[in-house]
This record gives sequence, structure tokens and C-alpha cells, in this order.
Amino acid sequence: MAVETDDPVREGLVARPSLFRLADIFVRYGNITLGGGSATVAVLRREILDRRKWIGEDEFTVCFATARLTPGTNLLAFCTGVGWITRGLPGAVVALLAGSIPCAAMVVLATALFSIWQHVGWAQAAIHGAVAAAVAVTVKTCWTIAHPYVRPGTRLRVAVIAGAAFLLNVLIGLSPVEVLLLAAGVGIFIPTVRA
Amino acid sequence: MSFLELYLLLLKGTATAFAGLASLPVIQDALVTHRHVLTAEQLNEAVVITRSTPGPVGLWVVSAGYFAAGVSGAIAGWLAMITPALLVIPTVHFAGRRMKHPRVRAILETVVIASAGLLLAAAIPLGREALTDPVTIAIGVAGLVLLLTTKIEVAWIILGAAIVAMGADTVGLLYYLT
Repeated sequence: MAVETDDPVREGLVARPSLFRLADIFVRYGNITLGGGSATVAVLRREILDRRKWIGEDEFTVCFATARLTPGTNLLAFCTGVGWITRGLPGAVVALLAGSIPCAAMVVLATALFSIWQHVGWAQAAIHGAVAAAVAVTVKTCWTIAHPYVRPGTRLRVAVIAGAAFLLNVLIGLSPVEVLLLAAGVGIFIPTVRA
Repeated sequence: MSFLELYLLLLKGTATAFAGLASLPVIQDALVTHRHVLTAEQLNEAVVITRSTPGPVGLWVVSAGYFAAGVSGAIAGWLAMITPALLVIPTVHFAGRRMKHPRVRAILETVVIASAGLLLAAAIPLGREALTDPVTIAIGVAGLVLLLTTKIEVAWIILGAAIVAMGADTVGLLYYLT
């Protein structure tokens, strides 16, 4: 059901989630993924955009891009941005807390038990296997993030931008934030594409 | 060291870094070299722990805080980790209301697409670290095939990979442990 709103960002989207639902999704999907923040963003994207339509494609782009350019942990900035767009300041705070408290608690527990479990072979093997799968998750996430922008007439553009970012980071050694600022600069000048 | 002082020192690292471990040099300098509330070994362990647990790599400051001052230190680390995220609110608000503008859209989309390229770059060191023998390489390849061709939840694939690795370890197939 589309929502009538004078907010251009919320135009045409489904109803906003309650704070409880927002917390529920960020607790369940914002804390569990191995393989770094972007892999978690890919999982969250499926839940809040593809399945529940709490945000649209444009809002995902805004949250993801601005989160990548925010200092600190990008995933938490993304959660905060989604919370802000869907439920304002209370939503931002709830999403930030829900996306950070459970995993922080797990880290405290793991730190407290570190001296014990670092010598447990099966636990180390399980972690090693999970991290191997996380490599696959990371590679798949590249496609998850890029494919919404692959439209008729933009395939070459997407390939060139993503390829250039990869090469600038791997071969030239530019830091991620330098690459992203450069990308923003390129975005100012490249010809625009109709949505 | 007081709670506030530890929080501010950790915040100095998190608020000036744009990637999970980029805050490490600043915090290392403050807590290991100057304040001596953390050892270099504990710092390394904090990184190892957070790479082995779910959630973002930036969680390492929580672990470092715990090593420095117990549970209150972990809370200081958690606060230092989440505080910079609030900076996204004005930028999301500003950019979101201008998203219909083709130029704003082009800038943000270019940043997102570049992020995908950077993520592929990030997979290289992760792969070097994780894909160390035939079993883990097979897990990585099988995981990617399943992710690309099925709709199986990521969590199930990671859990399955952990179980396969445990099984392989039991029969002596994981070389890295021996």
C-alpha cells in the first residue's frame, strides 16, 4: 500500500515499520553476518527493500552512499540512515542500538573467553570454514550492490566505475575513502541517465 | 584511566577513520604506546577476535576497550563505535531530499558502484587469509555457487561451511591446523 506523503523521499512507498519491527529486523539481520559490513548490508537490503519495501531503491542508494562516506563503522551509519528515513530520530537511534548491541555483546563474550577458545581445535576449524564462506559472501555482495544500477545503456558505465575503483585500490594503492571521494567527483561530471 | 577519557581516546580513532581497522594506528598510539593500558598482543587479539565473530570489523574497539578496562571499557568502546554513525543523519536528510535531482543521483550512484569495486578488492586479502587449503577453497567455491544459483540464506551457508570445516578437521583434512 502506497503512503500519501509530502516527503519526496517517502513518495510511493509502503507503510513505515513500527519501531519494534525495525529493531526486530536489525537485531536479526544486522548482527549475524560474517564477511564485513557490506555483506550485512546486502542481507539487510533483501529484508528491508526487496521483501518488506520499507525503503525504495533511491533511499537505499542515499543510505549506502552517505554511510560509505561517514567516518567510523559504515554498517552502523547505514543502519542509522535507514532508521532515520523510515522513523525519524527514534528510528535512527533504535536501528543503531539494534544493529550494534547484540554483536558488541558477542564480542565482549568472545574476548572474555578468548584465552580458552583460541586453543580449541574444532572451534578454530569452524571459524576458518565460516570465514572461507565469508569470502564467497563478499564476492556475491559486489553483484548485489552493483546490479540495481545495471540498466539498459549503463552496463559499460557500471563496469568501468567498479573496475576503476578496484584497480585504483589494488594497483595504485588509494585508500577506500580516497577512491569514493574520487567517485563522487566523477559523479558530478558524468552524463546523467534517466531513471 | 576514567571512563570518559577512554571513550574520548577511542572516539578519536573511530571518528577519524573510514574503515574498520583504519582506526588502529591512532588507538594503538594512544592506548599502547602512551597510556600503557593495553599491550600490543592484546591489540592483535582484539582484531583476531572481531574477525572471527559476526558483525562489522569496527567492533574491534569494543574488544580493545574490554582488554583495557573490563566491561566498562567495552561500553566505552561500543559508544566510541556508534557515535560517528550519527553523523550520517544530516547527510542522509540533505541528500535524500535532493535524490530526484539527476546530478545528486549520479553522484550517489557512482559512489555505490565504486563501493562494489572496492568490495571485490577487499575480498583479495580475506581470500588469502581464509582459503589456505583444498578444503577451504572448495568451501569458498561451493559457497559462491550456492549464493549465485540458489536463494539459500547466507547464515545457513556460513553455518554449513563451519560444520564442513569441523568435519574436515576431525578427519585431518584441514592443513592449517597441523
